[in-house]
Amino acid sequence: MASRNPVVMDPILEARGVQKWYPNGYHALRGVDLTVHRGEVVVIMGPSGSGKSTFIRTFNALEDFQQGSITIDGLSINEDTRNIEAIRREVGMVFQQFNLFPHLSVLDNLTLAPVLVRKRAKPQVEREALELLERVGIGEQAHKFPGQLSGGQQQRVAIARSLCMEPRLMLFDEPTSALDPEMVQEVLEVMQELAADGMTMVVVTHEVRFARNVASRVVLMAEGEVVEIAPPEQFFTAPTHPRTQQFLQQIG
Amino acid sequence: MPALLSPLGPAPSRWKRLRSELFGSRVDGLISIALGAALVAIAFGLLKWTLFQAQWAVIQANSTLFAVGRYPIEQQWRLWLLTALLAAATGLSWGLLRALPRDQPSGQRWPFNDRLAAGVLVALALAVPLWLQLSLAIQLRWWGITALVLVLRWALARWGSDVPRGIQRLVPLLWPGLYLVGMVLISGGLGLIQVAPSQWGGLLLTLVASSFAILLCFPLGLVLALGRRSELPLLRWGSVVYIEFIRGAPLITLLFLGQNILGFLLPGGLAPDRVWRAAWVLTFFAAAYVAEALRSGLAAVPRGQLEAAQSLGMTMPQSLVQVVLPQALRVALPAVVGQFITLLQDTTLLSLIGLLDLLGTARAVMANPAFLGKSAEVYLVLAVLFWCCCAALGLGSRALETRLNPSDQARYQR
Repeated sequence: MASRNPVVMDPILEARGVQKWYPNGYHALRGVDLTVHRGEVVVIMGPSGSGKSTFIRTFNALEDFQQGSITIDGLSINEDTRNIEAIRREVGMVFQQFNLFPHLSVLDNLTLAPVLVRKRAKPQVEREALELLERVGIGEQAHKFPGQLSGGQQQRVAIARSLCMEPRLMLFDEPTSALDPEMVQEVLEVMQELAADGMTMVVVTHEVRFARNVASRVVLMAEGEVVEIAPPEQFFTAPTHPRTQQFLQQIG
Repeated sequence: MPALLSPLGPAPSRWKRLRSELFGSRVDGLISIALGAALVAIAFGLLKWTLFQAQWAVIQANSTLFAVGRYPIEQQWRLWLLTALLAAATGLSWGLLRALPRDQPSGQRWPFNDRLAAGVLVALALAVPLWLQLSLAIQLRWWGITALVLVLRWALARWGSDVPRGIQRLVPLLWPGLYLVGMVLISGGLGLIQVAPSQWGGLLLTLVASSFAILLCFPLGLVLALGRRSELPLLRWGSVVYIEFIRGAPLITLLFLGQNILGFLLPGGLAPDRVWRAAWVLTFFAAAYVAEALRSGLAAVPRGQLEAAQSLGMTMPQSLVQVVLPQALRVALPAVVGQFITLLQDTTLLSLIGLLDLLGTARAVMANPAFLGKSAEVYLVLAVLFWCCCAALGLGSRALETRLNPSDQARYQR
């Protein structure tokens, strides 16, 4: 699949000068800017400790920040809990460790939030959830518990769980890093199909092939700053910044 | 024994396995024989004492006192009614638990433990009233109550799965409802004559005080545990100070303190009488320990669970109730029930502040010159009574544990 360019430049996420210090004084984000347009797939790469996970976690306020601003679909992240909850309803997140709810069946994992948060009728949500599970290829596991599934299956359930809230933006925080190598592909394929359907995605990952084939733009972060943003062809073949060249050499 | 090593050989008989476990080597055999002989000697001595030497008149003459204290005789029908209601609720819940497909595969309506429990129940119902030389009318009541439990247990296990789900879900609500009904029946009101707490005694007082404390210390402990993990400093410090203060003080001092201080703190009419003061102190005391047990359960839930719930737009209370607490409770349940059992036993301290709980009644009875020197009999009965209550709590908690653990259960069934 060729990388895509959004037809309309319609920003859904705008981060401006985001700075974060951890309580121990560590300066994790040093003024980061990023704009994501509707329909775009933005892949964030970078060495460990570069702040890329911290950065993506500020988008749905799982991490706070001290300076700068983040606006998502017209709502800006601030102290207001209601505002944050409204943003989280529209922004899905997939974690490295899946974080499925182990005490609920796969189906209940999907239906919990739509019923509770969106106040939707359970039978209808269940129908949609089963369709989603079918779509990520685990329809027959709906009544099992997360502990009975493989890592790859669990991560696909986690993706379906986020989709069940019908988000406008999906965040992926190293979705394949905790998986055994033979399971990485099945998760990446689901993400690729999702991108093909037009979902706006921000993905933190080390998967170069995925970035090359799916990303609209690739971002390199290092030491809490954005070093380079470029379309994948340019990013991987003709990077302008020496830090990017060094990083690409390191990951071979 | 080569047959034991071969995976294809026939399974060794129970007798052979027992022999290989008990007499595997010469030393094992000696230890087994010595311990076996000691056990037989102890059991024989105990049996001989129970059957021939002990004089049970002290129990027989005071069985009502041990059961309900000085509860007015003409009002005791209320306690019988309550016992019958409790028996019915037990039978209903027990049967329904076995009828639901998740719990047991069909055809397993009477697992071994249940048959054992039913057998023990019948044996007790037949033996104890006879042994206590109760009048026929009262014996019949006990048999009727036992029959009520078993018949409902049988009927619900048989047809429980046909009961509509809406009604099934209401069954757990039976218990809190029954608790309120029980409090009215015991203490009066709503047209019933008041029976002051000072007239309650024996097992009745022990059960009222401990069930009150058990029911209330749990929500209180939960609030404290959440408070201790809260980000609001005042709430956190308050919880820490409370928990550490209570855990640092012996219960008996708090009980004495409670008798005096609650009178000062609350204006005249509001101060509860001595029994309720003690029950409240027990509640506040147990809450601190329950809070610590729950805190360890909360700490066992990975942070990612809360983050996942919140990233789906769930509010903090929703995330706690739906995601974090079910997992935390599963971890904390054994420790919490252990605390409940300790609490039940701690009610014996009420006797030291002059209340006539089981131990208080026993001490009063033993002070009667007619029953001098009969303390062994009394204490043995007390120990057995407490053991029965604690065993019931333990069994209930184990049933609850498997209920809270659907994922594990599914795994075991495969």
